[in-house]
Amino acid sequence: MTATALESQLVVGATLFILGMIGFLTRRNLILIMLSAELMLHGVSVNLTAFSRYHGNPQGQVFTIFVLTIAACEAGLALSLILSLYQRRKSLDVFLWGKLGEDDLPVFTGTAAPVPTAHADPNIDLPHLTPAGRMPKTQSGTQAKT
Amino acid sequence: MTFASMNWTEENGLLLIPLSLGWLAIWLLMPADKQRSRFLGGLVGLAAVLTMQWLLLPQMGDLVRDVLFFLFAGAAVLSAALMITDRNPVYSALWFALVTLSVCGLFLLNSAPFLAASTIIVYAGAIIVTFLFVIMLAQQSGTSSDYDQRPFQPGMASFLAFALLGALLFTLQEWGGIDRLNTNTDAQPGQFIALPAGVAPNPLSQAHYDNKNEIGSLRVLGRSLFGDYLFMVELAGTVLLIATIGAIAIAPRRSQGTL
Repeated sequence: MTATALESQLVVGATLFILGMIGFLTRRNLILIMLSAELMLHGVSVNLTAFSRYHGNPQGQVFTIFVLTIAACEAGLALSLILSLYQRRKSLDVFLWGKLGEDDLPVFTGTAAPVPTAHADPNIDLPHLTPAGRMPKTQSGTQAKT
Repeated sequence: MTFASMNWTEENGLLLIPLSLGWLAIWLLMPADKQRSRFLGGLVGLAAVLTMQWLLLPQMGDLVRDVLFFLFAGAAVLSAALMITDRNPVYSALWFALVTLSVCGLFLLNSAPFLAASTIIVYAGAIIVTFLFVIMLAQQSGTSSDYDQRPFQPGMASFLAFALLGALLFTLQEWGGIDRLNTNTDAQPGQFIALPAGVAPNPLSQAHYDNKNEIGSLRVLGRSLFGDYLFMVELAGTVLLIATIGAIAIAPRRSQGTL
């Protein structure tokens, strides 16, 4: 395998990586962002196999197998994350997640929060966490304190 | 100083043509508010790919191999460009399937048949189908949404990306010369593709395979995978297990409400 053929493959890998980067930066669909990340992984895999053939040993291909494994893990985790995100906002737009604070909470202004005492009444304000798993029952008269 | 910069421009300025053409093509192909004709963008993109191929014309050693390489590489790049610029996310996923098939063709050219088969099985068989499933679950109306029509700053992002591509290509040209002026056919010491001096090669994986078609075979690959990289294989299995547990923990329950 000549050096020129190796360079052509490197150029193809770099182009695939760049196109995936453009998609990752510009698209607003959550699923397309993950697909663009997979495209970048493809570009890297082309590089690895080209070097593997150039050197004549299988290390590059072994590394590509690991890349494949990580890509599969990433796809599974990303899809479950995207599903749970979609369930909350009913949209795949990534701009809806630009602000991570909760809408019903007052904005933290920087003043020191009062230290809660240990022997408080049972209606004490619990931290308003995002619901994970089962949706908790809404308590009447609960007011979040920051 | 100025003389050096002028010399540099003369030597490397030819690469600016496909880079700027590619930037223009991606910017034209991106979905915008008003319906822009994809014909012009496609034309500019084809010009970019053709000038790039003209710059990167390989030595005509093996005609069949070169033709296959250009077929697969061109299909991969064109499908990738169409994937990131399509308005419909379902079409984007299908274009990504085409990218995967083309990349598997490149793997075959790199004498990695096992890798090509496993990539097709994992990507086209599992990942694309799951992504399509989620897209169709989330967008049941069939019409492309508003956020698919308006990408986020496509001009600036593609300019940055093509600047990075230009940096990579200039580095490659400094190394060997994709203009075929300075082709070195063997790995030479001191260059970044050669083995660094003073590092003893692993005796298991450094077996010299005279027939380069042999390096992708199951025998060689399995010997390297389960000989040199046994701990890595165990780690990869652990990562898979953790990812499975995490996906099950993160995924929304059905009792919580359907999608």
